[in-house]
Amino acid sequence: MDFAPTREQEMLRDMVRAFAESELAPNALSFDEKGEFPFEALKKAAKLGLVGIINSKEYGGSDMGHLARMIMIEEISRVYPPLGFYFQTGQIGMYGLQNFGSDEQKKKYLPPLCQGDTVMAWALTEATGGSDASTLQTTAELVGDEYNVNGRKVFITAGETADVVGFVAKAGDGTNLLLVEKGTPGFTTPRREGRLGLGSIPVSELAFTNCRIPKENLVGQEGRGVRLALAGIGAVGRPGAAAVSLGIAQGAYEVTLRFAKERNLYGKPIVQLQAVQFALVNMNVEIEAARWLCYYTGWLLDQGKSPGEIGSDIARAKLYATDVANKVCLKAAEIMGGYGLIPEYQLVRRLRDALEMLPAAGAQDVQRVIIGGAIAR
Amino acid sequence: MSLNIIVCIKQVPHPEHFSRITLDPIRQTISREGIPAVINPPDLHALEEALRIREEFSGKVTAISMGPPQAKCALEEALAIGADDAVLLCDKSFAGADTLATAYSLACGIKKLGRFGLILCGNETIDSGTGQVGPQLAEFLDIPHVTSVIQIAFEQGSSLIVKQALEEGYMKVRVKLPAMLAVAKGINQPRLPTVWAIMEAGSKEMQIWGASDIGATQDMIGLEGSPTHVTGIFERDTTRRREILEGPPRQIAKKAVNRLHELITT
Repeated sequence: MDFAPTREQEMLRDMVRAFAESELAPNALSFDEKGEFPFEALKKAAKLGLVGIINSKEYGGSDMGHLARMIMIEEISRVYPPLGFYFQTGQIGMYGLQNFGSDEQKKKYLPPLCQGDTVMAWALTEATGGSDASTLQTTAELVGDEYNVNGRKVFITAGETADVVGFVAKAGDGTNLLLVEKGTPGFTTPRREGRLGLGSIPVSELAFTNCRIPKENLVGQEGRGVRLALAGIGAVGRPGAAAVSLGIAQGAYEVTLRFAKERNLYGKPIVQLQAVQFALVNMNVEIEAARWLCYYTGWLLDQGKSPGEIGSDIARAKLYATDVANKVCLKAAEIMGGYGLIPEYQLVRRLRDALEMLPAAGAQDVQRVIIGGAIAR
Repeated sequence: MSLNIIVCIKQVPHPEHFSRITLDPIRQTISREGIPAVINPPDLHALEEALRIREEFSGKVTAISMGPPQAKCALEEALAIGADDAVLLCDKSFAGADTLATAYSLACGIKKLGRFGLILCGNETIDSGTGQVGPQLAEFLDIPHVTSVIQIAFEQGSSLIVKQALEEGYMKVRVKLPAMLAVAKGINQPRLPTVWAIMEAGSKEMQIWGASDIGATQDMIGLEGSPTHVTGIFERDTTRRREILEGPPRQIAKKAVNRLHELITT
């Protein structure tokens, strides 16, 4: 067993940390307050090779792998979780194109996505459900050389800003994974959802009304849409969500530790009080445990394991890291007292973001169902 | 114009962890154990300037450092940021070097590297801050040098016009190449390495040279070659003292002046 990160992974962490501290930290609060997603920072991240980190160099990616991606998302989310969350979802589509798309689709969409010139969204969830993808109501009927699409998608991250959306629709007896470009007649984003956390990230409803999509926008095989979409969520979305949670937990822990060293009570910093120390120790241990579950998942994916083979490993990382993020943020609020709930102390936004991670990329109980299914077999 | 540029790099403790640095009262040294190390931040400005010059005129950027084996990490980072190759001067006999012995060792290494047009250093290091190595290096190589450089402009031929920051203003200096310039923070904004460059860094050449490889004279390097020695190392007393002076205003003012004078002179 080799638990040591490679020199490249260490340098990546240093680079992403420096990027996040300079480009995100100074404005994190105002991004959330104004609801302005840091698209400029996203572009800069793309130029550094972070957006295409799991895409091949042939299509403009940097191809550093899944473990590197986990480290990158963790470091971004340590400072500003909404951008980490964008990577979590945006890269599902880029993974889908890379692995299931045609050569033409890869050539057309991947280079500008990797460069940060365009944005991609991934749409599976509908009002009737996200975790049970078999209840899809959006339809794509083949009429000549085009699909006629009708239906609605909800909770779509970056939906209204995306230049291209990968979405799943019922087609005959099966489901198809299709691409729709912004501005296609019949495709609209009627509503931006109000959210508790992940303040600046646009989450939208998508509507298809007799939307005509060319047949060549089919990704992968006909009839396998849900399967492909879930493979993308398994390999990229869920591990990404685990890494976002890990970053939230780490960021909240650091805020709390700094506070505990500065806040004096009974003549000494409260970090010297054993009750506070024990709480910080628990945070520290649990975050480290979550980190290794996350990294193990990335490592398994880099070894070529399919998301199907390691479904319970991925679920374990997402379940635990997200629980830890919520636990750490709540305990942090207790330690910091009234200050913890003042936005300027940078904990409140993390607490809200941690709550958003509970249903993201499969609710916590869905992860338990996956792990339960594996252990009960 | 193609220019070979050498950038001097020092690995220093991460400034965010300075509070964890402790003093070793027995060895009279500072203990950096367990503290993450980084490239001396002013050296990043030197590297950035070298890369910008290379991008404008072509040529090669070589990063050089003297230090223990772990200083390799700083050079790997320099390669990831954009240096073409790197040299680490690493030998037990270099240990304990003061600025003069360090400058001599670097000069020997640079002579071995061969022809160069420009040497760039950070103006000072954040862990010792003497600002001496660059100028001493220039003296060993018998080339002109300018410190606190905030702008470099190339003239036709082989000279530069550099802007040197002064306490109140700046001075423009014409310098003939080859030269050594110690750059100040304001000169540029250092870039971050890209993921592509990080992954390529491992395939770039890094040479590790000992004292005999660079033909260094033993009594000029390390502790033996250092004319200055640290004789004591102390933690600064940062305890605040308060004194209340009482009496009529004129008397208090006089007392205050006397007291301040006393504090300054003792």
